[in-house]
Amino acid sequence: MENLVTETGIKKSRVPAWLDLAQSGTGLVLGIFMWVHMILVASVLLGVGSFNFVAKVMELAFLSPSGRGYPIAVVFAVMGVYTLFIVHAALGMRKFPINYRQHKMIRNQMKMMNHSDTNLWYYQAVTGFVMFFAGSVHLFIMLTHPHIDPYISADRVFSSTMWPLYLVLLGCVELHAAIGLYRLCMKWGWFIGKDARKSREKLQKFKKRATVFFLTLGVLSLLVFMIIGFRHRDKVGEHYSTQRTTIEQTIITG
Amino acid sequence: MKIIYTDSLVIGGGLAGLRVAIASKQRGYDTIVLSQIPAKRSHSAAAQGGMQASLGACIKGEGDNEDVHFADTVKGSDWGCDQDVARMFVNTAPKAIRQLCAWGVPWSRVRKGDRQVIINGEKVTITEKNEAHGLISSRDFGGTKKWRTCYTSDGTGHTMLYAMDNKAIQLDIPVHERKEAIALIQEEGVCYGAIVRDLVTGDLIAYMAKATTIATGGYGRLYAVSTNAVISEGIGAAIALETGVAPLGNMEAVQFHPTAIVPVGILTTEGCRGDGGLLLDKDGHRFMPEYEPEKKELASRDVVSRRMTEHMRKGKGVSSPYGDHLWLDITLLGREHIEKNLREVKEICDYFLGIDAAEEYIPVRPTQHYSMGGIRTKHTGESTELAGLFSAGEAACWDMHGFNRLGGNSVAETVVAGMIVGEYVADYCKENCLNVSTKTVDRAMKKQENMIADLINRDAGENPFELKKEMQQIMMDKVGIFRNGDDLTKAVDELKVLNRRAKNIALRNRISSSNPELVEAIRVPKMIKLAQCVAYGAQLRTESRGAHAREDYPERNDRDWLNRTLATWKEEDADLPEMNYEPLDVMKMEMPPASRGYGVDNIVPHPDTEKRVEEIETVKQENPDADRFEIQEVINPIDIPAKFTGRNERVGRGFK
Amino acid sequence: MCGQAVKEKQETQDKQDIQERARTLTFEILRYNPQVKGETPKMKTYQVKEAPGMTIFIALNEIREYQDPSLQFDFVCRAGICGSCGMVINGAPGLACRTLTANYPDGVIKLLPLPGFELIGDLSVNTGKVFRAMSERVESWIHDKHADNVDLDKLEETMDPDTADEIYELERCVECGVCLAACATKRMRDDFLGAAGFMRLARYAVDPRDKRSDEEFYDIIGDDDGVFGCMTLLGCEDYCPKDLPHQTRIAYLRRKMAFAKRS
Ligand SMILES: Cc1cc2nc3c(=O)[nH]c(=O)nc-3n(C[C@H](O)[C@H](O)[C@H](O)COP(=O)(O)OP(=O)(O)OC[C@H]3O[C@@H](n4cnc5c(N)ncnc54)[C@H](O)[C@@H]3O)c2cc1C
Ligand code: HEM
Ligand code: HEM
Ligand code: SF4
Ligand code: F3S
Ligand code: FES
Repeated sequence: MENLVTETGIKKSRVPAWLDLAQSGTGLVLGIFMWVHMILVASVLLGVGSFNFVAKVMELAFLSPSGRGYPIAVVFAVMGVYTLFIVHAALGMRKFPINYRQHKMIRNQMKMMNHSDTNLWYYQAVTGFVMFFAGSVHLFIMLTHPHIDPYISADRVFSSTMWPLYLVLLGCVELHAAIGLYRLCMKWGWFIGKDARKSREKLQKFKKRATVFFLTLGVLSLLVFMIIGFRHRDKVGEHYSTQRTTIEQTIITG
Repeated sequence: MKIIYTDSLVIGGGLAGLRVAIASKQRGYDTIVLSQIPAKRSHSAAAQGGMQASLGACIKGEGDNEDVHFADTVKGSDWGCDQDVARMFVNTAPKAIRQLCAWGVPWSRVRKGDRQVIINGEKVTITEKNEAHGLISSRDFGGTKKWRTCYTSDGTGHTMLYAMDNKAIQLDIPVHERKEAIALIQEEGVCYGAIVRDLVTGDLIAYMAKATTIATGGYGRLYAVSTNAVISEGIGAAIALETGVAPLGNMEAVQFHPTAIVPVGILTTEGCRGDGGLLLDKDGHRFMPEYEPEKKELASRDVVSRRMTEHMRKGKGVSSPYGDHLWLDITLLGREHIEKNLREVKEICDYFLGIDAAEEYIPVRPTQHYSMGGIRTKHTGESTELAGLFSAGEAACWDMHGFNRLGGNSVAETVVAGMIVGEYVADYCKENCLNVSTKTVDRAMKKQENMIADLINRDAGENPFELKKEMQQIMMDKVGIFRNGDDLTKAVDELKVLNRRAKNIALRNRISSSNPELVEAIRVPKMIKLAQCVAYGAQLRTESRGAHAREDYPERNDRDWLNRTLATWKEEDADLPEMNYEPLDVMKMEMPPASRGYGVDNIVPHPDTEKRVEEIETVKQENPDADRFEIQEVINPIDIPAKFTGRNERVGRGFK
Repeated sequence: MCGQAVKEKQETQDKQDIQERARTLTFEILRYNPQVKGETPKMKTYQVKEAPGMTIFIALNEIREYQDPSLQFDFVCRAGICGSCGMVINGAPGLACRTLTANYPDGVIKLLPLPGFELIGDLSVNTGKVFRAMSERVESWIHDKHADNVDLDKLEETMDPDTADEIYELERCVECGVCLAACATKRMRDDFLGAAGFMRLARYAVDPRDKRSDEEFYDIIGDDDGVFGCMTLLGCEDYCPKDLPHQTRIAYLRRKMAFAKRS
C-alpha cells in the first residue's frame, strides 16, 4: 500500500483507521440490512397480502392519507443503501489481489492449507465481486421502480426472468453477509467472552445456521414469487393494490 | 580473501555471547556476533526452570543472601570450583536479574497472601508478605538451602534470551547468522579473530578482532542421548583446543540431569521436582527418601542421577524397549499449576509422549545435560594462555561450577559472566590495537581452505555420520554417570582409533557450498578430540568428585585431586591431549573443603583444610563486630569491575 | 539365567516385535539447492522404516545419514522450543521436530519448506533475517529512557503478577514463522507486518515498563501494512504451535489503534 504519511512526514495518517472502521461499519449495516430485507421479502410466504402490507409500511403508507404511500421513500432508501454498497465495495476492493501474482499466491495458499477461515475470505471476495454487478442491477431496478407490489415483484421474477439473477444474488449475499458478520466479530473481538476459542466455535456454528436459514427462506420466497408470477403471467404489469381496489369496487357496486 | 574487521568479535549468540557483545558495544567498541543459527534459537532458549539469584522476596527465600548462595554453589561444585569466581558470581547475580527485569523479562511475581504448595509430597499453605507483592518470585531447586530460583513460568531461558537479543537489536549489534567459526587466528600467544565458514554459501571469511570471545555453549552432543540442542557440539571449545595453546579445564566434568524423557532425552525441568513432583519406581514407590533422607528428590543433580541409576540397577526400574526408566509424578501438583507454571513440560509430554502430564506419570531417566568443562579462563574471562581470547557461558571453564553445577546457576552464569567478562573485553579493546601481519591471516585461511579441499577431493574414506555415531556410543557406554577404570581405558583407546580414522573422511556429496555432510565432516574430528579430553581426563582422575563418579575410586580425594584438569592439544598429530593439573589453593578458600552432606562421608582430606578452617575461625573471632561483608573482604577479597561492587537490597532487610 | 539377562532378552524381543510391526513411511520432500547453478525444484521420495515415537526430526536425520547426505533442514532444540524447524507438513505449516509420524495413518508425509521465506535449500529457509527485520520494525524492546540507568542494587520495580503472566503468554512466541506462512495476506503482500509482529507489539503494549503511547504504536502499525491490513484470516491463530492468542490480541490492537487519540 502507498505510504500514508501526512505532510510533515512525522505522524502517520489517521486515514487507514477511518477506512477500516468505514469498511466494517458499512459491512455491519449492510449485513443487518440484508437479514432484515430477507425477512421482509419472505413475508410473501405468508401470502400476497402480507407482502403487500410490508411493502406499504415500507412506503410509509400509514402516513399517507390516501393509504398509497410514498414510493419516494423507497427511492431514498435505495439511494442510501446504494451509497453504502458502493462505499463498502470500494473499500473491500482494496483488499482484493491486485494482480495475477497475488491471486495465484492466495490460490496456492488455499490449496496448500485448505484452511477454513482463509477459504471464507476468498468466498467473501468472490461473492462481493459478483454482487457488485448483480446487486447494482437489482438496486437500479428498485430505484427506477420504487413502487413495491407483490404482483409486480412476482412478474419481475417470473415473466421478466429475473429469477436467475436473484438466485445468484441470493446465494452470494447470504454467504457474504453471514461470513462478513462472523468475521466482523473476529476482527474486532466481539462476543468473545472468557474463552475466545470456544466463542469462536459458537459463532461459526451460528454463522452456518444463519446462512442455511436465510438461504432456505430466500429460496422459498423465490419459489412463491415464481408460483404467483406463473399464475399472474397473463396480467403482467397489474398491481396487487389496483386489483384489490377493483375487487373492493365490485363489492361496493355489487 | 574476504576480511571483516571489528573491535570485539563474539562467537556465539546465546545468553553469554549476547551479554558480552552488549557490554563491549555499550562501552563504545565495534562489535559483531557470529552464530550458527539466528541468535534467538540458541540453546539458552531451552532453559526452562529458572535462574538463581538471592533476591529472597518469596517467603521461602527469606533470609537468603549472597553468602547462602555462595555456600550452596561451592558445596554443589564438590569444592571443585574457583571460589573467587563463585563469589563474584553470587554477588552480581541479583544485579543481573534486576537488569534483565529492566530490559523486559516478565519474571513471575510474588502474589501476597496464602497459596498452596506441595512440599515433600504434601499440601502446605504458605503466606506471602504484603510488602513483597509484585517483586520477583522464586521456586525451589535441587541443592539449594532457600527458594532462590527466579523464573518465568517454565520458559525462563526463552524470555531471558529474547530480552537479551532484543537489547542487542536495540543497540544495533549485528548478528552474522549461519556462520560457523572453524579456527582461531593466533600468533605467539595472541588471538586475533577467527576463520569463519558461511554455512549457506560455503565461503570462508576472516574475522579480525582485537578481542575474540567464545560463547558457543556446551558439548553435550558428544553423547548419543542428551538434553542439549543438536548444535551443542562444543566446536567453540574445540577450536580453542586446536590452537595448541589454550587449555580446556575439567572436561571430564559432565552433568547428567535426573529427569529427561525416555527415549528422546528431552528435558523436563528441575522445576517439576522443585514445585513438588516426586520420583517413583516401577511399584509406584517413592524411593528417594531412602537414599537421601534430607533433601530427597531435591538433592544435587549428580546425586539424584546416581541414586536413580542405583535404584534401577536393583531391578526397580520400569522396563521398556528402550531400557529401564523411572517415573516422574507431577500429577499431585494439580492441573491448574501445571498449565500455568509447567506449561512447556506439559506440551512436551503431550507432543512427544502423547500423555497428559496432569494425569499420567512421565517416564524419565538421567541423561547428559551440562558441560562444566570448557575453555579455561582467568576470573576476567580471558584464556590463561592465549591473550585476546575470552570465553563465557557454558563454553568456558570460568569455573564457578567445579564438578557439578546447580540447577539455575547456569543461565545465571551466562548473564553474570557476560556482564563481568564483557567489561574486561572492553578494557582489552581499549588497551590493545589490532596488530597482526596479513601473512598470519593468510596462513590461517590457507590451512582451512586446504582442509576443506582435501575433504571434497578425497575419493573414498570414512563416513562422518558413522564416526560421530560411534563416538557418541562410546561416550554413552563407557564415560557415563558411573565410570570405572576398565571402561575408561577402553574408551580412550577406541577414541584414539576414531581420531585416526577421522583424518580420512570422504564425502558423498562433494560440493563446497551449503552441504550438511561437509559441515559434519568439519565438526566430527573436532568433536572426537573433545571426547578424548573428556574420556582421558576421566581415566586419569582417580577419585569421585561431583558429577565425576568412579566406581573404583568412590572417595573424594582432596589430598591428591583438589585440582583442575587442564587439557591442551599441542601437536596436531598427537593421539591424545596433554594433561596438566592446576591445584586449588585451600589456604585461599573462603569455604574450606567439607562434606556435602549426601550419603556417607567419603573424603580423603587435604592437609591444609584444618589449618584454613582455624585461620578463618580466628579472623572471625578477632573481628567480632565485623559484618558479613567485612569478613568476606578479609577472607576472600575479590576483584570485580567497579560498577558491580554495590550491595544488594532485599525486601524487609534493606542493604544488610 | 540371572534376572538381568532375562530382562535383556525380553527387551530385545520387544524391540524385534516392534521392528516387525513397523510400517514403511514414504516421505515426499521438495529438493532444491539454489546454490547449485541450473538446479530446479523437484519432489523426491524416500522410504523410512517407522520406529515407535518417531518424529519427523528423527526420520529426516535418518534420510540424511543413510540415504542422501545433501538433504538440508534446520533443527536446533528438537523439542519444540526454539522455532527452527517450521515446515509444511502435508499441507499444514508446523514444527517438524515435535510432529510424530504416527499422526499420519496412511504413512505418506509430504514436506515443503515454509512458503514466503527466502529458501536456503530444501527444507531450510531464512527465518532469522525476517524476524530481525520484524524486531527492528516494531522496535521490540522496552522503551524507557531510564531503563539503562536503573540502580541495579535497589529492589526492582514491582509488577502485578497477572500482568507478568499476560506478558509471558505473548512472549511465548518462538519466531518459527508458521503464522507468516499460514497467512495469505502476508503471502500476497510482502510488506505486511504479519501476526508474529502483532504479537510482539501487543506484548509491549501490555507491559507497564514500556512507556510508548498509543500514538507511538500507531506510528508503527497504523496502516494497511500494519494492523489495518490484517484480513482476519486466522491462519496464524489456527497453526501457531505455541497457541498464542492471535485473534483476540490482533482485535485488541485493532481497537486500540482505530480509536487511538491524536495528540
Ligand atoms: C534443556 C535444557 C534446560 C536447561 N535449563 C536450565 C535452567 O533451568 N537453568 C539454568 O540455569 N540452566 C539451564 N540449562 C543450561 C543453560 O541453558 C545453558 O548452559 C546456557 O544457556 C548456555 O548458554 P550459552 O550462552 O553459553 O550458550 P548457548 O545458548 O548454547 O549458545 C551457543 C551459541 O553459540 C553459537 N555457536 C556455537 N558454535 C559456534 C561456532 N562454531 N561458530 C559460531 N557460532 C557458534 C550458537 O549458534 C549459539 O548462538 C539448561 C540446558 C538445557 C539443555
Ligand atoms: C459490491 C459488493 C461487495 C463487495 C465487493 C464486498 C467486498 C467485501 C470484502 C472484500 C470484504 C472483506 C474485507 C476485509 O477482509 O477486510 C467485505 C466485508 C464485509 N462485507 Fe462486503 N462486499 C460487498 C457487498 C456487501 C454487502 C451487500 C453486504 C451486506 C450483506 C456486505 C457485508 C459485509 C460485511 C458484514 C463484511 C465484514 C466487514 C469487515 O470485514 O470489516 N458486503 N466485503
Ligand atoms: C433499499 C434497497 C433494496 C430494496 C428496496 C429491495 C427490494 C427488494 C424487493 C422488493 C424484492 C422482491 C423482488 C423484486 O421486487 O424484484 C427484493 C428481492 C431481493 N433482493 Fe432486494 N432490495 C434492496 C436491496 C438489496 C440489496 C443491496 C441486495 C443484495 C446485494 C438485495 C438482494 C435481493 C435478493 C437476493 C432478492 C431475492 C430474494 C428472494 O426472493 O429470494 N436487495 N429486493
Ligand atoms: S506467533 Fe506462533 S506461529 Fe507466529 S512465529 Fe510466533 S510461535 Fe510461530
Ligand atoms: S492469518 Fe493473517 S490476515 Fe490477520 S488474522 Fe492472521 S495475520
Ligand atoms: S528444532 Fe527447535 S522447535 Fe523444532
